[in-house]
Amino acid sequence: MKPDINIALLNAAQEIINRFSPLIDDEYERSRLGSWGALILISAMKFNEAGSALQKENLEIIDWLLASSRLDEKDVNPYRTIEDTCKSLEELDQDNQALRVLLNKEVEHLEKKGDGILLKSVFSLFRSMHQRRKVSELIGLLQQAES
Amino acid sequence: MSEELSSLFLSYYSDLSNNEFSQVNLERIFGGASRETYRVKIKDSSDNEESLILRLSQDSSLIETEQKTEYLAYSAFQKSRVPVPILIDMSEDDSQLGAPFMLMEELEGEAASPFTPNVYSPYEEDIGNQFWSILGQIAKKEIDSNIFEDFSKGSKKPFWECELDKWVKVIHEDSIGVEPILESGIRHLYRNPPIENKRVSMVHGDYRSGNFLYSKNKITGILDWEMAHLGDPLEDLGWALSPIWSWQDKERPAYLLMREEAIKLWEKTSEIKIDRNDLKWWELFAAVKGMAIWISAGNEFKSGKNIDPINLFSAWIPGDIHLEVILDILESNI
Repeated sequence: MKPDINIALLNAAQEIINRFSPLIDDEYERSRLGSWGALILISAMKFNEAGSALQKENLEIIDWLLASSRLDEKDVNPYRTIEDTCKSLEELDQDNQALRVLLNKEVEHLEKKGDGILLKSVFSLFRSMHQRRKVSELIGLLQQAES
Repeated sequence: MSEELSSLFLSYYSDLSNNEFSQVNLERIFGGASRETYRVKIKDSSDNEESLILRLSQDSSLIETEQKTEYLAYSAFQKSRVPVPILIDMSEDDSQLGAPFMLMEELEGEAASPFTPNVYSPYEEDIGNQFWSILGQIAKKEIDSNIFEDFSKGSKKPFWECELDKWVKVIHEDSIGVEPILESGIRHLYRNPPIENKRVSMVHGDYRSGNFLYSKNKITGILDWEMAHLGDPLEDLGWALSPIWSWQDKERPAYLLMREEAIKLWEKTSEIKIDRNDLKWWELFAAVKGMAIWISAGNEFKSGKNIDPINLFSAWIPGDIHLEVILDILESNI
């Protein structure tokens, strides 16, 4: 079995940060290369879960829209992933963009209505979407790598 | 680029100072996303050395601003209680150095990364006292009428609306997709405007940890005024207090003093009593403005116009943090 892509990226990042970057005298170029190393490190950490995270997010948005908005099955069905089909990352991303547009419109409608209960539920969805996507929790790791 | 720039600079500076300079060393400083910044060491024939800072406009920068804005802002605070570098020259065209530029004397001190915790230790208290007092001084300073005139845009809209319109336009032009959390934050700001402050101040526009120089326990210079404008003094306070600049210790903004202590110090120095609801508005605005900057950076990177890793970093890390700040503020309002 071959090593995974994320393992290759992880090793590349470590080589850049620890091996090549210190060899450069020019402070600007050294910092720039070190930053690339850190960004590749983040990519490696998130690489494997990118597809499944998008799929989960799309499903979560669809569930919320069906349960709490004015939309119904026919509005969201085009963006569903059927169980035995496999969508590319690009297709999942396109679905995600379309679903985000629908979600934004429905949230705006709730804000106008002042529906506190549904707004609370959408904020819980927002929290879950953000939690899954964010890479900012890796900031400590970056600082460790840079030092 | 560097050799050509060195030779252009040598000839330009010899003419400007009416002195024969023979050696120059330009060292680019990493981190600035809106200007190319160089540390310049230049020697004349008698071996006298001068240390300068050169800020060049970039073809593609994170925030499109004019050199004149920064120059005028620095001019407004020369010989004041706000420490700024001494200005030498400015050019808005590219005939001399290939791009518009600003030249100033180098100040003593170093700048820290705004994302490194406890970077000012053990001088957090001294530096914190200066950091928040200087911001109060900026808010308090009466601006010279000529400089005021140059900054006035003649808009009849309140400052909050001008600023919000400006950054929302950037978001909608540069966004790669729709971000419902951010859109909800923008709608909240338009629906709940602040009371316009009676005091019109020079707003630094990016007053934060990392944009000042310090040496041990002393702040030696406030830098990076390229987003300066006239406006509500609470704008700078909201930006400087943003949890993004102390993400691993949110109650101690800029990793300096505790939040309430910082606010009290600012109120005392600026002689402005803060309306807490308005400050909350400006703190949410700060996060939306931040998102505009990080989205713009991501767009520069994705389009290939500027693949400096700082643009990718900005889109990923600060972009995530400010989105979470927006979410926290909005959720606390329900």
